Amino acid sequence: MTPTDQMPSDLLKTSFSRRAVMRLMTMLGVSAALPGALLSHGAFAQDGKGDAAVFVGNFAQRGINDILAATIPNTEKQKRFRDMFVDYFDLPGIGRFVLTRYFRAASPEEQQKFTQLFEDVVVYTWSRRFSEYNGQTLKVVSQQPDGNDGIIVKSTIVGRTGSSFNVDWRLRKRPEGFKVLDVIVGGVSMAITYRQDYGTVISQTGSFAGLLAQMEKQVEDLKKQQGA
Amino acid sequence: MKKIPKKMPRFSAFSPARLLALGFMALSLCACATKPPASNAVALEAYKEANDPFEPTNRFLFKVDAGLDKVIVRPIIKTYRFAVPEQGRRGVDNFVNNLRTPVTFINDVLQGEISRAGTTLGRFVVNTGVGFFGFFDVGEKWGMEYHGEDFGQTMAVWGVPDGPYIYIPLLGPSTVRDGLGYGVDAFVTDPIAWYTRGSGSMKWVQWADFGLMYVDAKDSAMDPLDELKKSSLDYYAALRSSYRQYRTKEILNGAPPPMEDFDDPN
Repeated sequence: MTPTDQMPSDLLKTSFSRRAVMRLMTMLGVSAALPGALLSHGAFAQDGKGDAAVFVGNFAQRGINDILAATIPNTEKQKRFRDMFVDYFDLPGIGRFVLTRYFRAASPEEQQKFTQLFEDVVVYTWSRRFSEYNGQTLKVVSQQPDGNDGIIVKSTIVGRTGSSFNVDWRLRKRPEGFKVLDVIVGGVSMAITYRQDYGTVISQTGSFAGLLAQMEKQVEDLKKQQGA
Repeated sequence: MKKIPKKMPRFSAFSPARLLALGFMALSLCACATKPPASNAVALEAYKEANDPFEPTNRFLFKVDAGLDKVIVRPIIKTYRFAVPEQGRRGVDNFVNNLRTPVTFINDVLQGEISRAGTTLGRFVVNTGVGFFGFFDVGEKWGMEYHGEDFGQTMAVWGVPDGPYIYIPLLGPSTVRDGLGYGVDAFVTDPIAWYTRGSGSMKWVQWADFGLMYVDAKDSAMDPLDELKKSSLDYYAALRSSYRQYRTKEILNGAPPPMEDFDDPN
């Protein structure tokens, strides 16, 4: 037999290996994981892990009590999630990271527009999955310093059947308290993935306005799908 | 009319190894991405970060893959989901993981991860025995958590850079290093390959192993990938980034990734 006939199976195993793939995919589906699982609260550690851990735990607890497990219409869930997202996340900070120099080169109106559209993208992609929430809980595992004045809080999302995956929260201390700058699911950073995604769109369309136009269209599509 | 030589291997045209080889050949003939000028620092940085000099070819193969996915892979997975209940699919996943254990064990050792090698060995014994040939992941319940290793990761631990990104239709994202890693695992580290090598009558074992693994992997991947597609603008770029980040995490065995500059210089 020729060498190329050998054992087809293993050729796939690295890029596509079972549980590895499950994790890859769980995390690739950042948005899939977030509503159902990330926001779920749980026995988050109050045991002296510090303010940052409490902040993440509160976020999860509010998410589950007020949104995921609440018996309210989906439009109300969406609204509550938007308020929480704006409150807990550092949207301008995310914009600066995701768009790097493009963000600084943009006019204040463009920056404002981007921040607004990004908020919509997150709200409409995450909220599509709220109905899939099935009792998952979030457990804070540890925290560690990150960057100049930041903290990464490491947590695990545990499902009812005992399946779990890791979610890390990159926080920065702002004058008004902690803000989330990034969510890392199974090793994949949402901010880094968006940076590559949006960076490619900017270079393809040749302008910041090109990116905004595509985001606008995406938001319209998502809204239509949800009848929002 | 020419007679087809009898010796020709029956499945060779469809062999994933052959496809991989074709992929490399295609890349060598490919159209390449244009490197941005040094004056455009942001674009140059992005170009280096993506490390995707074959981007035009990769994007073409990515489109081909989307078509094949629609007409071949998706119907298979939908049938699989219809025919096998979730519990059964989880059993298949466990079984396939267990078959893969020797490869993980050897790569644990090659990386000098002796404690993890011990966990891998313990899982294999427990899951094969108590877990009914691996269908039940008893090891996980007994505190031996699953992890996968492959020769691509081993090379990374040895300091080999991942090299350019490649996209292989039907298989998915990879890099030159990881692609070579598959080859090494297929030929050298997998006992099923040793056992069935050169034996025509054992060919079905290879294909059964391949088929189970493929269906299991695609089943797990389908929904989250659909989700990534919906949440991104340029799905190709989002997947490329996610794949590289995921591999980095696997190589570091879940340790925190190197610090990204998240602090605004302004």
